[in-house]
Amino acid sequence: MKDFFKSNSVRIFLATVFILIVLSVFTNSINQNLLSSTVNSVTYPLSKVTAAATSDEDMSYSELLSEYEKLKEENAQLRSQLVNYYDTLTENTRLWKFYDLKKEHPEYSLVPSVVLRRDANNEFYSFTLDKGTTSDIAVGDPVVSDNGLIGWVSETDLNTCKVVTILSPQTSVGATDNKSNDMGIVTGSALYCDDNLTTFTKLSASHKVKTGDIITSTGVSGIYPKGLIIGEVTDVCYDTYNSTYYAVVKPYDDITTITDLAIITDYTGQGEVLLNSNTGKQ
Amino acid sequence: MQNLRFFRYLAYSIEILVFFVLGSTPSLLPEIFGATPCILVALALTIAVFENEVPAMIFGVACGMLTDLGFSNSIGLFTISLAIVCFILGFCANNFIAANFYNVMLTAVIVITALLSLHFVFAFVIKGYDNAGVYFVNHYISRIVQTILCTIVFYFVNKFVYETLCD
Repeated sequence: MKDFFKSNSVRIFLATVFILIVLSVFTNSINQNLLSSTVNSVTYPLSKVTAAATSDEDMSYSELLSEYEKLKEENAQLRSQLVNYYDTLTENTRLWKFYDLKKEHPEYSLVPSVVLRRDANNEFYSFTLDKGTTSDIAVGDPVVSDNGLIGWVSETDLNTCKVVTILSPQTSVGATDNKSNDMGIVTGSALYCDDNLTTFTKLSASHKVKTGDIITSTGVSGIYPKGLIIGEVTDVCYDTYNSTYYAVVKPYDDITTITDLAIITDYTGQGEVLLNSNTGKQ
Repeated sequence: MQNLRFFRYLAYSIEILVFFVLGSTPSLLPEIFGATPCILVALALTIAVFENEVPAMIFGVACGMLTDLGFSNSIGLFTISLAIVCFILGFCANNFIAANFYNVMLTAVIVITALLSLHFVFAFVIKGYDNAGVYFVNHYISRIVQTILCTIVFYFVNKFVYETLCD
């Protein structure tokens, strides 16, 4: 046993642990690092293939089978004419989802993206998207679907980025009730995240928030654009611990399984803090 | 002999890469009680019991690094803890305990429970999230149980790899 502690194995072990601790500190202190970029670049193609293979998650086996037969038939007819027909069609369908959003908000710079990975250790249904700094994605960029806000980019590397969803307590979005104009903060909760619900907190005692009201972002922080739909109020509750009211909000998408998204890389007012949101003074 | 060892390590490496990608593919593994297993943790432990301490540690580091980089851009808890655990496990399996099914399962139950509970402490308790206990009950218990169950499968897979490609 004494010899073991003097052996090369132990020296290698101690050296490795020391290097790992240094690497851990190093990778934690910088946002984008070579290590994660390398690993993600190596696994990116394989992840891309498997993510694409499972994108039709809502279909049953028989539906998939009939879809397959149909596509096989169509494929035979069109193969000679359109070599990349399906790729174009899929891309087109995804882009159409965001066309209305782009038309409504021409100032948004949208980068369409798909969910590449959902790791077992992801907290509050966060996920990895297939776009990174090479597509001008930066930390803090809002992530949206055609139905509203989904989350924000928390980490980036060359080809991928990690997204924290609005189901997470890490998220804080300045929000307003479109009907009653009550202001508050949308943040996730461990109590509700499993049911694809988030909370609209910090409501005043005289609030008029009701079930069915639509919650949108205020844009006061300069992180999220003004007017992004977050979800619909399903319940109004009283937090006895904090002595405040909060509303339970249901996003219009199922964030726990969503696959097609877009990242807003630029919009008018990004990074600017509105000092007075009522007058619009900045 | 060297060739067999090379192919064994190659088999482990391919196994790690494939299971990392499959484990993180959206909607591939069904969520049972709100969680999917940490496949790479189970894989690292079952490789470690058949190998010497240094190779065991290297594969532990690889699995830990991929686990850490799967949900963040930095290495941390899983890399360092799996390096230490796999080194100790590799050493013990060669000197003190037999790498049989019961010993491996007992080790897996202790290590996986401790490791994932530690992850919960770092990811939730220290950050001060409200209702963190609810998240533990709804997600972590199921994740711990599923990861332990994965160990059973990987034990036999890696035992087969080790016995087929033994020096």
